[in-house]
Amino acid sequence: MRTLALAGVFSALAGLALAHSPLRTTTPADGAVLAEVPQVLELQFGKDIRLTRITSTHAGAHSKQLDLSTEAGFVRSYALPFEGMGAGDYVIEWRGLGDDGHPQSGSFAFRVD
Amino acid sequence: MAGGWALATVLSKWALYVGALGAAGSALCAMVFSLRMPRMHVIGFTLLAGAAAVMGFLLKGVALAGDASGMVDGEMLSLLWTTQSGSALRWQLGGSGLLLAGLFLPRIAAIFCLIGSAAVLGAFLVAGHVADHVADRDGLLLVVVLFLHLAVAALWVGILTPLRGLARTPDTHGAAADLGVRFGRLASIAVPAMILAGGVMAYALVDSVNAFFGTGYGRMLMVKLAAVAALLGLAALNKLRFVPALERGDTSAGDKLARSIAWEWGAVLLILLATALLTTSLTMPM
Repeated sequence: MRTLALAGVFSALAGLALAHSPLRTTTPADGAVLAEVPQVLELQFGKDIRLTRITSTHAGAHSKQLDLSTEAGFVRSYALPFEGMGAGDYVIEWRGLGDDGHPQSGSFAFRVD
Repeated sequence: MAGGWALATVLSKWALYVGALGAAGSALCAMVFSLRMPRMHVIGFTLLAGAAAVMGFLLKGVALAGDASGMVDGEMLSLLWTTQSGSALRWQLGGSGLLLAGLFLPRIAAIFCLIGSAAVLGAFLVAGHVADHVADRDGLLLVVVLFLHLAVAALWVGILTPLRGLARTPDTHGAAADLGVRFGRLASIAVPAMILAGGVMAYALVDSVNAFFGTGYGRMLMVKLAAVAALLGLAALNKLRFVPALERGDTSAGDKLARSIAWEWGAVLLILLATALLTTSLTMPM
């Protein structure tokens, strides 16, 4: 039973990244290939959420936080001004708090050719 | 959240369960079975629960910020304070305070300990998977069922240490047998009710049989059920063999009962670890 329990613990910890991710759609979409850097990032959630951190990483090296200072309250849709760094791969990581008190997080990626 | 923070979150929840059930259970058992209030146990468990509740709250700040700065980020923590997480922390700390106050106020100790225990257990009702379903049609029933489940679990956790203490000393074997019989009488009604309550919650929260076998949540629930089955086996052994042997004056039964209770503690810790994983890390199948 100890082996079974340990297997359960490790498989549970391996599944952590999947916990509580209610992001429905994004613009650009996850995996999209674009001709130009987008001016705005749009995130549409299935439930109300307050974003607390959103970070853009360009080419796996240059990270910067997006400005959330104008956002307030718990909402489902976010449209955030985005300043890109030219062509390359972008990974957008977000964190937020659901109105039920659950911290939530996730990420999506796109490429600019 | 990175693995280390996630592990810390699970461990803090585990400590919260052990502390809260131990504190409420020790106090409730002393009242229900007219035992001397085990002050040091209640204080130890209450402090563990309080520290774990605060740590769990701060770790949610980490989850919101993505790094350790979230533990001291006033904006993140005040945001959390306004949600169910803040309510749960207030209930937990308020209940802990009442329990501790009850230990040092002789005349009204029972009222403080009773309300404090109820608040410490009630903290689990205001946040979490069951709280998420409160607005549903069967939400209120689920809250009552979870409270019943927690109260019986607390009594079970609370009886282990005093019963083991009595069983280990030959002079108190008679008292151990008496306590074992009285707890066994209560448990024969309360434990089936607790299992039924757990079954109702599992059915309500995981509403397909496939979800039990096809998801991490379901598999962890199976681990918990296996540990519960082991615990029930030990309890049956105590009730049907060791406690009757103690009643007959068999002195060797004391050590056997004490050893069996030590194994029960092991099963309880495994059950609470599985529960901590279920409530912190795993996505509930919808």
